[in-house]
Amino acid sequence: MSGVPDRLTVLIGDDQPLIREALKEVLAAEPDLEVVAVAADAREAVRLAVGHEPAVAILDVRMPGGGAWAAGEIRRLSPATRVMAFSAYGDSHSVDEMRRVGVCEYLLKGLPNSDIVAAVRRTAARPR
Amino acid sequence: MREHENVDLELLLQSLVDYAIFMLDSGGHVLSWNSGAQRIKGYTAGQIIGRHFSVFYPADDVVSGKPGRGLEIAVAEGRFEDEGWRVREDGTRFWANVVITALRDGDGRLRGFGKVTRDLSERRNVERALDERGRLLAHLVRAQEAERRRIAWDVHDDTIQSMVAVGMRLQLLASTLPAEHADAVTRLNDTVNAAVGRLRNLAFYLHPPGLDSGGLVETLSGYLEQVASGAGLAYDLVPDLDEEPPPEAAITVFRICQEALTNVRKHARASSVRVRLASADHGVHVKVADDGVGFADPGDASARREHFGLIEMRERAEISGGWWQLHSRPGEGSTVEFWVPAVRPGLR
Repeated sequence: MSGVPDRLTVLIGDDQPLIREALKEVLAAEPDLEVVAVAADAREAVRLAVGHEPAVAILDVRMPGGGAWAAGEIRRLSPATRVMAFSAYGDSHSVDEMRRVGVCEYLLKGLPNSDIVAAVRRTAARPR
Repeated sequence: MREHENVDLELLLQSLVDYAIFMLDSGGHVLSWNSGAQRIKGYTAGQIIGRHFSVFYPADDVVSGKPGRGLEIAVAEGRFEDEGWRVREDGTRFWANVVITALRDGDGRLRGFGKVTRDLSERRNVERALDERGRLLAHLVRAQEAERRRIAWDVHDDTIQSMVAVGMRLQLLASTLPAEHADAVTRLNDTVNAAVGRLRNLAFYLHPPGLDSGGLVETLSGYLEQVASGAGLAYDLVPDLDEEPPPEAAITVFRICQEALTNVRKHARASSVRVRLASADHGVHVKVADDGVGFADPGDASARREHFGLIEMRERAEISGGWWQLHSRPGEGSTVEFWVPAVRPGLR
């Protein structure tokens, strides 16, 4: 596990560079959060999650390779990591798809930064 | 001998179940009825004898004077033949071939009319599914949906995401600025957020999730859930389909329902809406009924202008080979009723 031990480590997986960068800055502005890895697709997200074992993985649902696939693999290969979905799509099909693979938090893109940060902390606090 | 012939003729008329054969008086009122007429049009003799034959025509045709014109032509030329929609007793329609013949006595005086009607719905349905026009239409529907899907995806995956990122950065910026500047940036962020919300609605309208993957009922159910509950409307979906319609028919049904629901949401001031789907006449018969304010005359020009969607709905149904109509009275809600054919090419 990388990062300062008392900080929550976070992985970001999103194919949109603008979102990746903005999200990274939003989280970096919080003293208790540390972004340890940033991935642009599902495969890279799984690989980096296995390497870093972050407390929280924030995954886009529609990134190449599929957010749901990445979530399932991360849950399997890095069981300590809690997965949170971050999506432009709020329809029930997308939400159910992520819930089925063990995603405990589903956040719609466009919510205030404070909601995103609160959701990351809430996700990390989920029982293992 | 003469009486014997009349009995035989009556027997013949009653045995012709594929033809509605009946007489009208010179004013157009029904004088007689046969079993074919009852089978095709749904009225019993007791229900229909004495009534004016314009009840067999769609409301628009009655307004435009079509029934009367048919009689006038029959009077002038002896005979009038037509193909078009006619209305059954239960309000559904069938595609009819109609021949009206003027009946004159030995002195040439008009005694009434003979009317022979055949139900060509099934033949028309199958022909349309197989002919070039049907194929072109299916292609057009698919192409239009593909285009809408592309636009919706672009809006979602590019425009919305970029604006979301802008919003996130504006919030970060606001948190580092002194209060007097932070307010302006926060307002800017609110504007961006509101635009994101509208774009999301646009993308949802253009291409509701599930339209190309899930079935018609599932997609409609998801759409109703989102739209009706968002507008504070109670809703009820009654899906009574024997089978999933082919994709083009499913899309046409969905798009017309979508337009009808938009009208309910924007204009009806309704508290509930009921959508009923049923398999009928090798197609899908749909009613979208609300309990809102209704309106006076759907054919009225000013009402039409206010409800552009009405024309679009009707065109969609008619282009697909189906029919569409609106029933509404002030204070009694509105019902959009339509039918579209759902014949799979190559299945017959």
